[in-house]
Amino acid sequence: MDGTSQAIVRGGSVRRETSRPLCAITGLGKSYDGQLAIVDISFDVQPGEILGVIGPNGAGKTTLLETLAGLIAGDAGEVRWRGHPIPVSPVSFRRGSIFYVPDGIRPYQDQYVAQVLSFFAGVYRKSTSSVTKAIASVGLEPVLDRRVCTLSKGYSRRLLLALGLLSPHELVLMDEPFDGLDLRQTREIADVLREQTRKCRSLLLAIHQLSDAERVCDRFILLSSGRIRGCGTLGDLRARTNLPGASLEEVFLALT
Amino acid sequence: MVLLVCPLTGYGFFQAVSLYGEASIAGQQSPALASSLSPFDGVIVPTFGSLYVAVTLLFPFVAIRVLSHEKETGGLRLLLQLPYNSSRLIAAKAAAVFFALLFVSIPAASAIAVWRLLGGHVFPPEILNLVFGHLLYGALVGAVALFAASISESAATAAIITLAFTIGSWVLDFTVAGRPGLLDWVARLSLTQTLRVFEQGLLSIGVILGMLITASCFAALSGVWLNPGVRTRSKLARSVACVLATAITLGIASQLRLSMDVTEDQRNSFPLADSRLLATLAAPLAITVHLAPEDPRYADLQRNVLAKLERAMPNVTIRVAGGRRESSQAGDERYGEVEYTYSGRSDISRSTSHREILPLLYVLANVQSPAPIQGGDFPGYPLIADEYAALPWFFGVLPLLTILAWWWSRRPPNINFAHEGGSS
Repeated sequence: MDGTSQAIVRGGSVRRETSRPLCAITGLGKSYDGQLAIVDISFDVQPGEILGVIGPNGAGKTTLLETLAGLIAGDAGEVRWRGHPIPVSPVSFRRGSIFYVPDGIRPYQDQYVAQVLSFFAGVYRKSTSSVTKAIASVGLEPVLDRRVCTLSKGYSRRLLLALGLLSPHELVLMDEPFDGLDLRQTREIADVLREQTRKCRSLLLAIHQLSDAERVCDRFILLSSGRIRGCGTLGDLRARTNLPGASLEEVFLALT
Repeated sequence: MVLLVCPLTGYGFFQAVSLYGEASIAGQQSPALASSLSPFDGVIVPTFGSLYVAVTLLFPFVAIRVLSHEKETGGLRLLLQLPYNSSRLIAAKAAAVFFALLFVSIPAASAIAVWRLLGGHVFPPEILNLVFGHLLYGALVGAVALFAASISESAATAAIITLAFTIGSWVLDFTVAGRPGLLDWVARLSLTQTLRVFEQGLLSIGVILGMLITASCFAALSGVWLNPGVRTRSKLARSVACVLATAITLGIASQLRLSMDVTEDQRNSFPLADSRLLATLAAPLAITVHLAPEDPRYADLQRNVLAKLERAMPNVTIRVAGGRRESSQAGDERYGEVEYTYSGRSDISRSTSHREILPLLYVLANVQSPAPIQGGDFPGYPLIADEYAALPWFFGVLPLLTILAWWWSRRPPNINFAHEGGSS
């Protein structure tokens, strides 16, 4: 027994459910000046799955991701990595295991796109072919010789996604990965992300567009006012709400 | 910033060369005056004064941008996830700041070459020491700026904090320096004071270590406060530990009195024969000064005798027993006396000149006054140069070169992923 209990094939991706999750979060909490941002958040991330954190603006999605990435100090809770509690210096530990692609940032504005990609490829010792593949997968070829400050919102998003693809981490957190992309681009990027899970990488995506989330995620965490209102596959959530055949949107409205 | 520093330095150099030329004209009538003309004091130090102004007022913005820009654009959140710890990130940022400082120093450094081309005399050790001092001062300002950027959410706030340090030091320097008691101690905290030592032509190990330790402390504090994922309580605890460690090492460094007089005219030292003889007097010399520290006579004594003795003799202890000037003058007849004790014998003098003190010490040590060593006198370097000849360089060529360098640095990179191969 290698710990793998079953394999689920969905939309071309393979998710392995193991007895030991890649990352287990228990009782995570964070408040700002006494105002609760996330409360008692507990869930697991399995190897090779796409887990969607779904919720409206202000639900606590970004706080959850940044706390997990170690960019915000959590007030309470425990994070276990492959069953082991994360050690005292969580930032350095997470630096090697978790990569977070934030939303709404425009870094390295004075640099050319090719320079930024080259820098990250150098940091993570990625080969030129890996970089070329990442560029092609997110469609960055037309803007390689442009400065980051001149990029449109969509291309800025693609650049950040490319950086996420270049990172070697087992778990990648992405905040609103489809923000700024049109329908066709969203479908393309969804395929790219699904391709990542075939390499047994896990993705935790914070998404507020429920249709996008339904298209790409294997499981969902429904977040509202900083609390988890539901967690599981769409089938699990339908069963819980007694809404067979309901869309994610209908399930979300029923649970929140 | 280099574009601003070019005319600033050019104007400073122009003025200095002009004034030095006028002094040299006067020196043609008076050989004594001519022999005291030092290009280091007359031209080089005033020209580097423009670098001091630039580093104090403008350089903080450059240093702050290195970190604040990353914060404001969100790049810091990516940067912190790279496989480098905070110390390495801050070290890389500090290296970038120092590299920028070297660029900012180019106009002042080029002034030395221009002075040489105009026929001026240079004495490399004293100039290198001055450049070193300015680089240390710039590194210190850069470290303060990095720290300010690490604790501030915006560049504007970081600028206010840094300028409070630099301009505050400047203000301290000319408002409370020389005042008695606590104000004098406060004035010693001025960053500007550290440059004075280098401008006087002294290479002081204690000052160098002090500046390096302080800059390292601010850099370390930047690393502590850089990461937003650490609790404030933890950051405060680490900061206190860092400041305590700095205070202890600064205390140790301040005890180091090793310094070298790197000036060509050896203005900070006794005549060579005296220095050599004093170095052989190994017994402890105890000096008790009955003067208030704010008394001008104490400043004279310190500059002309005490500081030189500390460098020349291996074992000197100075105790200031002056107290407050007014009360001492009223009630203490010993006020103004300086007592020298060597090998169980002591003598008292009120002089602040080494010409009277050194013979007194030789008597106490029971040694003969040394014969002067001939040939070591400073000849003086008067020069009437055409200061206008330097203007095209500072107001034309150097700014143009700066613009060309900027334009060159902005060119698109020669990276073509599409045509390169490699294995994954």
